[in-house]
Amino acid sequence: MRDRTVLWSVVALVALTVISMAIGFVWLPSVHADFTVKGLWDGICRAAGVPASWGTAAEGAPAPVRTTAVVLEPAMARPGSADAVGRGATLALQCTMCHSARGAKEANAPNLAGQYTEVVMKQLSDYQKGDRTSAIMQALAGKLSARDMQDLALYYAQLPRPKNTPVTDMGVVPPLVKTGDPMRNIAPCAACHGGMEQKLGTPWLEGMPKEYLAQQLAHFASGERRNDSHAQMRNMARALTAKEIEELAAFYARQAE
Amino acid sequence: MFHAKRLVLAHFWVAFAAFAVAILLGEWQMIVRSPLHAWISNPEHYYRSVTAHGTAMAYVVPTLVAMGFGYAICELALRRPLVGMRWAWAGFWLAIGGTLMASAPVAAGRATVLYTFYPPLIGSAFYYLGIVLVVVGSWIWVALMAINLRAWRKAHPGATVPLAMYGNVAGAYLWAWTSVGAAIEILVLILPVALGFKDTIDAGLARVFFSWTLHAIVYFWLMPAYIAFYTIVPRAIGGRLYSDTMGRVAFVLFLVFSMPIGIHHLFADPQVGAGFKFVHALMTAMVSVPTLLTVFTIAASVEIAARLRGGRGAFGWLEALPWENPMMLAVAFSFVMLGLGGAGGIINMSYQLNETIHNTQWVTGHFHLMFGGAIVIMYFAIAYDLWPQLTGCAPLPAGLVRAQLWTWFVGMLALTMPWHLVGILGMPRRMAYYDYTHPALEAQAWTVTASALGGAVLAVSAALLVYILWRSQRRAGTPETFEFSIPVHAAARVPAALNGFALWVGMMIALTLVNYGFPIAQLAVLKETSVPAARVGVR
Repeated sequence: MRDRTVLWSVVALVALTVISMAIGFVWLPSVHADFTVKGLWDGICRAAGVPASWGTAAEGAPAPVRTTAVVLEPAMARPGSADAVGRGATLALQCTMCHSARGAKEANAPNLAGQYTEVVMKQLSDYQKGDRTSAIMQALAGKLSARDMQDLALYYAQLPRPKNTPVTDMGVVPPLVKTGDPMRNIAPCAACHGGMEQKLGTPWLEGMPKEYLAQQLAHFASGERRNDSHAQMRNMARALTAKEIEELAAFYARQAE
Repeated sequence: MFHAKRLVLAHFWVAFAAFAVAILLGEWQMIVRSPLHAWISNPEHYYRSVTAHGTAMAYVVPTLVAMGFGYAICELALRRPLVGMRWAWAGFWLAIGGTLMASAPVAAGRATVLYTFYPPLIGSAFYYLGIVLVVVGSWIWVALMAINLRAWRKAHPGATVPLAMYGNVAGAYLWAWTSVGAAIEILVLILPVALGFKDTIDAGLARVFFSWTLHAIVYFWLMPAYIAFYTIVPRAIGGRLYSDTMGRVAFVLFLVFSMPIGIHHLFADPQVGAGFKFVHALMTAMVSVPTLLTVFTIAASVEIAARLRGGRGAFGWLEALPWENPMMLAVAFSFVMLGLGGAGGIINMSYQLNETIHNTQWVTGHFHLMFGGAIVIMYFAIAYDLWPQLTGCAPLPAGLVRAQLWTWFVGMLALTMPWHLVGILGMPRRMAYYDYTHPALEAQAWTVTASALGGAVLAVSAALLVYILWRSQRRAGTPETFEFSIPVHAAARVPAALNGFALWVGMMIALTLVNYGFPIAQLAVLKETSVPAARVGVR
């Protein structure tokens, strides 16, 4: 009795497995041309998730557009040594004209005090490689070494941010910041720029000059600025109206008052 | 005879306390995303709540119910004191400690990764360590179930293992092997990143490991309900179990086929080959076999009860059923939800049909109907049935119990049917808000309100459950001796293979290796598959 139950159970399971494998790896791929174009074995391999080649660019296909050469890594966000910060402070002397001695002032250049390390590093690198354009910044970033950029970023990251007015009344926060607009594929600003979540490589915005923010959004929308690696900002900004850009820039700039 | 009363009671009370809190979170989620409420001002709070609701409902509640019920079965079915009482308490406290450890980072917004983890999202290491502790606590239970069965066998050489204990140990072995997938995912892939040793994670491989656990865990949740179907329901309604052997066949089929089918959760994932997806789809269909066997056997057992009460005719016996008996009501509601949910499940597991409902509200509707409905209503029934034994209380107030079961059934249908409907229309799941002002969505707004109302009924029902159990516990009585169902052919001998587990556990492991071995090995050796971790709530 025991032997028969065991035997038939095992036979049935093996048969079920073999039949389902035969259908899944041989029969079904055989009716899909892209699976069997290189023969039966290739079809089986593809069904197992191992194609003979992982895809090659089609002939005549346009070369991929490079948006940035920087690969963001969490290691870029780690604090640096006092030496590195001191060196960064020295290098930052050449930035004071626009960004002020303490990294923030009422000018139309972005505040750098307290900005995340990887953000400053990425933008400097993008200026240097021409992935972000600015007559002034490209000239200044051109001669910086990788270490210079890192030290500068570490210096600015540890400076105190300008005092913000904390938002106590959620009613004053524009809906686009809190909730975005799902039917227009606009994610909430606060999902990346702080408030709900702060994503790697995303700058904090509170207290940034209004003109700077509005200009950058307009540049993202027009494609003039395109160093967002996955087009995340271009896609958001393109969907915004001019009035919304004005409102968002005013909201983030207003924080410093 | 019953030495584990306090132990079992502790498991049930903590489970139902977690359940009561989590259901309020669920209802809050339903309200804030419905047209009854303005858009939530911080959607992160919504996902934090989803994480807490899911973690409590999917890990804490069913694990504690299965453990508590398992200890009760050990003493009631084997009719001997539980071996390893201290270890059992240690397992319980580990589970409590783990729950608290996981809750703190979730509440603080440091682990908003939803209960299914979703790498490359990475939350606080304490969240994952807390889950690990809950699982380790449950592994102690698994070991104790095996040890108790062994001790009983030694004292009763050659005897047939009681059906309840057979199902119980099948559930324990099922869980032991099921939990290995998520354990590997957490220990090998997630924790090194969460602890800061690594900055990248192989999200595709992690998802494959999670799928190993994700589907079979459902059958671990389901086992207590099925044990109750076979070993409590027929007795409670005054009938006989139609076939003891059929119960054993159902339990071992779950053991063999629960595990190697999880890739049907990954139909839309590019990292797994189409061939394996098909094999898993086909084997998922096999799980309907033990469920259909159970539906047939229990329906036959119920018919026996009706005919013993004088029921006649092809369908006339339905009238003779003891509908005033809460257990009758519970099993009827459970079967209706199992039928609807099972039909939906066949759509989920179909490789092609799945595309139409993948990641929509349909899926949320499906697992709430199956787990929250068909299975959890039987958890209530188990608690009601065991309560006099555990607390020495007078019979439970049948009217209130019926009201609780009715509200749960009606609430669950009101919650999940609209979800199924809008899922087919394409409403995505895991959304904190919908733009009901948009003409394309306006027509669907009522469904979310309906679900929110269903959720409110469920919250009332949960409160009623806690009230009934609390009130009954304070009213002393003299409970009758507990008996499990008696099969129609009580003396029939079962085949040796259906009195042990070696064959079925062997088949379970072998089939898992066949169905998961290659995809896991291939992804593990594939280069450049890791992506940067997205740490949650760090800044």
